[in-house]
Amino acid sequence: MAEVQLVILFTSVALVVIGLYSAIFLDNIIKKIIGISFIEEGVNLFIVAIGYKAGGIVPILMPGMDTTWFASNAAYPLPFGLVLTSIVIGASTLAVMLALVMVLYRRYGTLSTKVMLADTSKREEYNE
Amino acid sequence: MNEIIPIMVIVPLMAALLISAFSKFNKVTKIFAFVVALCLPLIPILSNYGLHYFGGYQPMLDNVTGVMYHPAITYSFTFLQQIFIAAIGLLTFLVIFIYLTKYKKVSGPYLFLLFLGTAAVTAMILTDDIFHMFVFFEILALAQVGIVAASSIDYSYEMALKYMILGSIGSPMMLLGIGFLLALTGSVNVSDIAAAVHAGLVNATSPVFLLSLALIFFGWLYASGLPPFHTIKSGIYSKAEPHGAALLQSFTVISMISIVLIMFRIYASLPIFEVLIVFFSILAMILGVSLALTQTDFRRMIGFLAVGELGFIGLGIGLGTNFSITAGLFQALNEIIITALLFIGFGAIVNATNEVDTRKLGGLLAYHPKVSIMLLIGGLAMAGVPPLSGFQSKLMLVQASLSCGYPELSILAIMVSIATFVVFVKTYYTMFLKPKPNDLDLENKEVPKAMIFAMGVLLVIVILLGVFPDVVTSGISNFVGGIL
Amino acid sequence: MKLYDQIFGVVKQFRKLFSPGPVTNADVSGSITAEIFLIVSLVLSAILLRHVNVLLAGLVTMILAIMLISNIPLIPKFKLEQDDSLEKMLFYAIVALVILATFMYWGGNLV
Repeated sequence: MAEVQLVILFTSVALVVIGLYSAIFLDNIIKKIIGISFIEEGVNLFIVAIGYKAGGIVPILMPGMDTTWFASNAAYPLPFGLVLTSIVIGASTLAVMLALVMVLYRRYGTLSTKVMLADTSKREEYNE
Repeated sequence: MNEIIPIMVIVPLMAALLISAFSKFNKVTKIFAFVVALCLPLIPILSNYGLHYFGGYQPMLDNVTGVMYHPAITYSFTFLQQIFIAAIGLLTFLVIFIYLTKYKKVSGPYLFLLFLGTAAVTAMILTDDIFHMFVFFEILALAQVGIVAASSIDYSYEMALKYMILGSIGSPMMLLGIGFLLALTGSVNVSDIAAAVHAGLVNATSPVFLLSLALIFFGWLYASGLPPFHTIKSGIYSKAEPHGAALLQSFTVISMISIVLIMFRIYASLPIFEVLIVFFSILAMILGVSLALTQTDFRRMIGFLAVGELGFIGLGIGLGTNFSITAGLFQALNEIIITALLFIGFGAIVNATNEVDTRKLGGLLAYHPKVSIMLLIGGLAMAGVPPLSGFQSKLMLVQASLSCGYPELSILAIMVSIATFVVFVKTYYTMFLKPKPNDLDLENKEVPKAMIFAMGVLLVIVILLGVFPDVVTSGISNFVGGIL
Repeated sequence: MKLYDQIFGVVKQFRKLFSPGPVTNADVSGSITAEIFLIVSLVLSAILLRHVNVLLAGLVTMILAIMLISNIPLIPKFKLEQDDSLEKMLFYAIVALVILATFMYWGGNLV
């Protein structure tokens, strides 16, 4: 395994672990969401790292290239395609989450998870 | 090649986009939504079984190794897909019918979410590509959050945000598991991965392969709402509009079985896989039903019951024989219909009384006799009383676990059925039979006709499936024989 | 007499479970059913361990039964741990993830 790939894998693991840590221990909802998007980015980075090939070329078959040479030298393109889709999904999820946080911030006036997203079944009043 | 198969996904998807774009033309939108919704159950019934390769890329045979490769995203359409897509299509039709008759001015975005969810689950159960399934799984999660947030019930935004945050942990983990599988096999096509595992190209005992199972399994727990996600799943059911909740639970059941069937095809050779599924199913049954017994909000109670019933499906699949998987899938079909019936029926009560606390209700039998009788039959079907459909599938499950040599599981299944019955009888008594509290004012509000129609349709299916289970089980059994 | 007092104490504790609002007898009987159901079903599923080792199954079943019965009421504790706050949900989800991943990575072959 190439050193570059190893470094990328370590980074992705670090991102996931930091994300899980912040999801449990941080109280501010925005910080929590940033941590959660760390998890997503860590996973994306991991999948990109799968397609890495030391000294590989861009997987686009240009005119005049020998196909057997191309097949043995090009990086694996499938992970990149998957990550592209996954980034788009992650962005839309993030947008919806932040929109919901905006609405809730207007209602509660705070970003603390303990206040905003606590157990609601015991609360009697409901402030619009 | 069968060109009609992708139409099943494209029709609701296009309808969703068109409706949200042209929602200001109220009348046209209503008619269009109704027509499309009517088409949804008809398309799967009328189309032929077969495979569809997107882009027309046929499977390639590697002449050196003799292995088939599937370069295209493949949709496979068999009896199992047909019956489940028809069920979800029928349910979508009923829900949209209820919605259209309830409001004069329809909301384009809400109809968009309903159709989007239907398209997503249809694609999930059709696809043979694990990443494709993941993409639609995420789209489904967004649609579910939207349906919850769109409701006018207190604290629906909070619940939607909680579901979303938990989902943003569950689904990347599933993606990570898919990434491990991709790294091991170089493919995301389930047939290719399963072939590589069965041919021994992948070391089935390697920690990476096991870890990929753990991560996809975690994503599956989130998708199906088994513990530790049972609280949030029952929460979103209780915070959605009743007809929305009826659709949400069917999304949950179908995403559960589509993911578990994919996992089964890949990991069935590992004994730990079946142990894990049975473990979490038992946990879901125990926690779901025991928490349902202590609820006072009846929507939440049905939510917990729905989660508890999911355990039966998991139990059937976890036992791993042809008969038990058939029973599990049949139970899944029954649960979609019965829980939808209960959600719509209790929703009718909310509609008529504006009250969800069982302690403040009572004596409704005299005011809404039709709804209460249909609800009673639905509840009996869920508890597994003959001759209704829940009885047939639960009997099959009990027989399956006995013949596998696990009598404890049979006893547990019977006990959970009894506890389900207790939950239902308790709620039914407090809502319909006990004397009406003085401070409950019923302004002679009628239950919408559309809701009664929907309940009637679902009830007919429940009774038909209870009397003639062979119509469905023989076809499902053939399908299960194909994947075992 | 002691067990009777204990069960009576359980019923009193259920009042907290349903606050705010009144406690009806249907709710209390439902909670007692849940209590019994929880104990019996957990003990019953512990018997499943006999497929691993009969001695282990007997031991675990006995210990579990004694532990559960001496700790009644369980339902208030159970319900408290499974409320709707995001913190508890996230905590249990991540604990389940970590246990699942750790167990599968190092112990997935043991079964």
